[in-house]
Amino acid sequence: MTSPLTAPGPTRSTGTTAPVTVRVAGWSLHLPEADGLAADLAAWSDTSASRLTATLADAVPADRAHQVLGRKGLLYKEPATRLALCAVHRALGLPPGRHLPDGVDPRTAVVVAGNLGNVATVADLARTVHAEGGRAVSPLAAPNASSNVVASTVALWFGLGAANLMVCSGATAGLDAVRAAMLLLRAGRADRVLVVGAEPADEVATELHQAGRPAFPLRAGAACLVLTTTAVPGTGPVLGPSDGRAAYRRIGPGGFDPAARWGDCYGAAGVVNLALAATLLDAGLPGPVAVACGDDTDGRRELLLDAAPGAGR
Amino acid sequence: MPARLTASELRTCLGDGDRTFAGLLAGASGIGPLRHGDPTALNVAHGYHIDDGADRAFAASRWVADCAARAVAAGGLDPRRRRVIALVGTGLRELAAVEAYATGGDAFGAHRLHFGDAVHAAVPGLREVVTVSNACSAGGHVLALAEDLLMLADADAVLVCGVDATTESMLAMIGRVVDHPTEAVRPFDADRQGVLLGDGAAAAVLVPDDDTRPALARVVATGLSCDAHHETAPSVAGITRAMRDALARAGREPAEVDLVVAHGTGTALNDPAECEALRQVLVAGGADPLVTAVKGATGHTSGAAALVNLDVARRCLSQRRVPPVVGLRQPLPEGTGLRFPTVATGHTARLVQSDAFGFGGVNAVTLVEAP
Repeated sequence: MTSPLTAPGPTRSTGTTAPVTVRVAGWSLHLPEADGLAADLAAWSDTSASRLTATLADAVPADRAHQVLGRKGLLYKEPATRLALCAVHRALGLPPGRHLPDGVDPRTAVVVAGNLGNVATVADLARTVHAEGGRAVSPLAAPNASSNVVASTVALWFGLGAANLMVCSGATAGLDAVRAAMLLLRAGRADRVLVVGAEPADEVATELHQAGRPAFPLRAGAACLVLTTTAVPGTGPVLGPSDGRAAYRRIGPGGFDPAARWGDCYGAAGVVNLALAATLLDAGLPGPVAVACGDDTDGRRELLLDAAPGAGR
Repeated sequence: MPARLTASELRTCLGDGDRTFAGLLAGASGIGPLRHGDPTALNVAHGYHIDDGADRAFAASRWVADCAARAVAAGGLDPRRRRVIALVGTGLRELAAVEAYATGGDAFGAHRLHFGDAVHAAVPGLREVVTVSNACSAGGHVLALAEDLLMLADADAVLVCGVDATTESMLAMIGRVVDHPTEAVRPFDADRQGVLLGDGAAAAVLVPDDDTRPALARVVATGLSCDAHHETAPSVAGITRAMRDALARAGREPAEVDLVVAHGTGTALNDPAECEALRQVLVAGGADPLVTAVKGATGHTSGAAALVNLDVARRCLSQRRVPPVVGLRQPLPEGTGLRFPTVATGHTARLVQSDAFGFGGVNAVTLVEAP
């Protein structure tokens, strides 16, 4: 019988069918000004505050991204893109400074979730055109006029050549992105997927967010998950569909919801919540942990994260 | 992996799918004066617009909802009885509304930037609607995800949509990189001047390959890649990876491809790169395909472009005719060795390759054959 956390593997015309189990092989949280969240989450989960504090520490805001990424290449990069790059850099465990890729890795995909990353640039371009004409806009802003700029910049920065997706589906975007990444792995389109959630909190983003989700303040932040299959050597908690199994704890709407406790990373929330769940499991919280995101407007998404088999707890 | 296309509905400057294909065969162009933004300020004088007499506000939502409702009806699908997921590919979402807000209009809820509301309202019973913003190849990327969802039995059917409405910020970028306003899109022409945007929407219904209902075409496979090469310039290496991925996933040989519905944006960078990729993968593999392209007639419909190409591909297969590359007079030097039809041409295609490449090097290549 198939485990609840596995799904049928790809039915390739030339291959065989095998179950594919998806694992979170690495993760990071890059949430500027989230110190209070660590203590709050530790108290709620009854786990060690030190692990949470260490994971949530050192998240520089977008305008200080050079402290993580080095100075070169950040000109014209928007805050959401900078935060996303910081989150990936940290999830990959790289030391500070720019690390140019050796070449293009054709088996690592990128899936980014976020809704508001380029709205400030688009607003600024429109205002500039109306006030001064199109000659006054910089061609260097061109990539930012396209909403997929965060995902393609992550691929370019780290040399990642498999599928590249930007999910912009609102409050569900984070877990929509995770599920798209699981699909890419199960369909054999990639061996590894970096899932990133990133949102800014500039004036334009804040006003649009406030008009739709007035209950929560928008927060700038990012998180990254490194997803692989269990066929790849390594460890990390296992990800699967929410299939009615009882969860020990729940993060997101209906449980400990960072949006209500700290602030709303909106399209990034699903990825942020999943990275928090991975951190809690790592700190000794019993699993499985239900991870949710969404709202009444965009709908709800939920996944289950459980400790790695044989983790010995 | 293979899936069956049971419905495909379009909305372009030329009209619905029937009118668009008839216009293409006749060599028509839907170009007209720019209707969105100030031509002088933008250095863009023309566009390929959908003029439905309604307000421009949230036009993309309206057009994609219309196509989605028509596709579900044409496909005979009841989403309340089966697990149907909708995927919407788009380059520009409702960023036109952000521009209106930034220049004096009202703020609106961020959920209206994507298409969940509009598609849910048009097609009751959908399990979920996910918006994927993948620039000019968004339609091809959601097609790939749809194939995977069906192959892995995560859905009984997938409603695959693509849409884009012209934005001023993207027009400003197009006008910024040319000396004089582009007069028309001329894919693969030696004297091409650049790209112009086209309003467009499309919706297709995909079902599993073993579904026995009448189908319009068989979507054999979609290959994906990311160049990871340059922010805006395409990479031949990245494009050829997507082409080879499609062939490998389909278990087909390059020589089997006998028609290409190309991306063909009429830009300095795309057309030579696409020609070189076609030569490296298809011609070097023994193929001698006809290569057509639609953007000279429809403009660049961005998020809808891959699904517009898919609709043209399925009609080429069923009608055994290939439309000309509207706007092409003298092929570019890099196109030497490729056959571009300049008039409607009778052709019984067996395997059609449909290309879509986007900003940031996001590539999607789909193979289609008769059902």
